[in-house]
Amino acid sequence: MTSEDEGCRGCKATAPPKWRQDFPIEWEGDHYVTRREMVKFLTLGSLLLVVANWATALASKFLHRGSHAERVIGSAATLEQSGSMLFRYPTNEDPCIAVRTPEGKLVAYSQVCTHLSCAVVYDKAKNGLFCPCHHGLFNLEGQPVAGPPTRPLPRVQLVQRGDQIIATGLEAR
Amino acid sequence: MSLRRQGKTLFTAIMAFVASAVVVQLWLLTVSVEALLSGTYKTLVPAAAGSTILLLINAGLLRYVFRFDRDAPGE
Repeated sequence: MTSEDEGCRGCKATAPPKWRQDFPIEWEGDHYVTRREMVKFLTLGSLLLVVANWATALASKFLHRGSHAERVIGSAATLEQSGSMLFRYPTNEDPCIAVRTPEGKLVAYSQVCTHLSCAVVYDKAKNGLFCPCHHGLFNLEGQPVAGPPTRPLPRVQLVQRGDQIIATGLEAR
Repeated sequence: MSLRRQGKTLFTAIMAFVASAVVVQLWLLTVSVEALLSGTYKTLVPAAAGSTILLLINAGLLRYVFRFDRDAPGE
């Protein structure tokens, strides 16, 4: 057994005990050091959050959902008959809805409600896109006008060539 | 009040401020991720810039803490 293992036994009278060497900070200083260490830890966390925030901003450049692939979605005659038409764009897993407005304008939006992703339907009486789940309502500009949704519906850009209606892009707003 | 006690009070205030700033940064990150998933990209860069400003304030306060320790006489 070494003199170090024995603690103060065999040490000089003025030397601090072993427990003091292991725990050199006074109770008063303990709070002082803890606060200082905590500020350092929080600032490091702050740095990590900034990195995560910029990574999110950078990811949007790579995950941009806007699509410019052209796709025939249906005929104008079908749309004239029913007033609205469901289609999928840009992939087969993205439901959308096209509507001929009372003014004769052709508009299309993602059918996924921006509140909790229920499917919106065209409501002629309300002259808008109605979400039956929580009674959300979007006007024919895609803007939320009633109920819980706060964000507009993504707009699908359309062109009409003869009888064909073609989707040319999806505009996230 | 001794300089060390003053420092303790000061560091408590600084720690509270930095902790509040980190909570705001967490909120900004939550908003950013939600915006990313919903395809609303307009808010991403302003949120990241705001978070960076808070980091600079936090780093400034941390620097102040280091300078205070360096300049304060030992007691």
